[in-house]
Amino acid sequence: MTLLARMDRLVYATRLDRVLFRRVQPRTLRWTPLSVFAALIAGYVLMAKTVERPDRVFIVGWLLFYGAYIAAAFLRIFGPRFVPSALHPLDEREMTVKMRAYALSGILLTGLTMLGCFYLAAAGLLGWWQPHSPNDWIALGFGVQATAMLLPTMIASWAEPRAVPDQDD
Amino acid sequence: MTTMLYNRIAVFRAERGLSRRELAEAVGVNNQTIGYLERGDYKPSLELAMKIASYFAVPIELLFAFQPFEPVADTLRRAAAAEGAPQ
Repeated sequence: MTLLARMDRLVYATRLDRVLFRRVQPRTLRWTPLSVFAALIAGYVLMAKTVERPDRVFIVGWLLFYGAYIAAAFLRIFGPRFVPSALHPLDEREMTVKMRAYALSGILLTGLTMLGCFYLAAAGLLGWWQPHSPNDWIALGFGVQATAMLLPTMIASWAEPRAVPDQDD
Repeated sequence: MTTMLYNRIAVFRAERGLSRRELAEAVGVNNQTIGYLERGDYKPSLELAMKIASYFAVPIELLFAFQPFEPVADTLRRAAAAEGAPQ
């Protein structure tokens, strides 16, 4: 077997072809985004606990937080279809699900941002924890972005019925 | 209150020996959408309903209805009885 044939075989065996050509069967992920949310929060808390020099807790938190951030991006690919491809544009049902999911996640994200602002205002007055180091603020920014990626995936996952088994697979 | 929309897509598809993917490609939707339609989990737009009806070359009301369709066996039995009936 030639090297090229071996590489071909590896691609099909690992199903990489389906990812590369966006022939991924969309899944209704349901609870999975919630576990990623939990990992994001836990990672952030562990990182924020470190006041001075990064220690083991900080590294665990960092890995958890940025691992969850990457997972949020991957869930967007493997969850309900939001991104059209050249060969497979979104159809009317997928467009409707996408519109509903983004509209609702926009409302939720606005509400969460408002609550965050109110918390920061109260934290200053009451002496509660608030972001202080540059890392706290940078991670908060990435956290907001991850939430903006996860919310539509989670909402669309619940808005869609369970996937119908593909007879052609 | 939502109204249930019944359809006979699965029957027509089976009759023509089509897979969901083939029908989906013919009418320009994702094959999951055909699955959801057949299961009654999704109501199509008028455009999609007309595309499917046109693909099967039948009037739209033969494919979609607000009342459940009678089983194919009953339809065939009735047709056979009508054929056997004296003129």
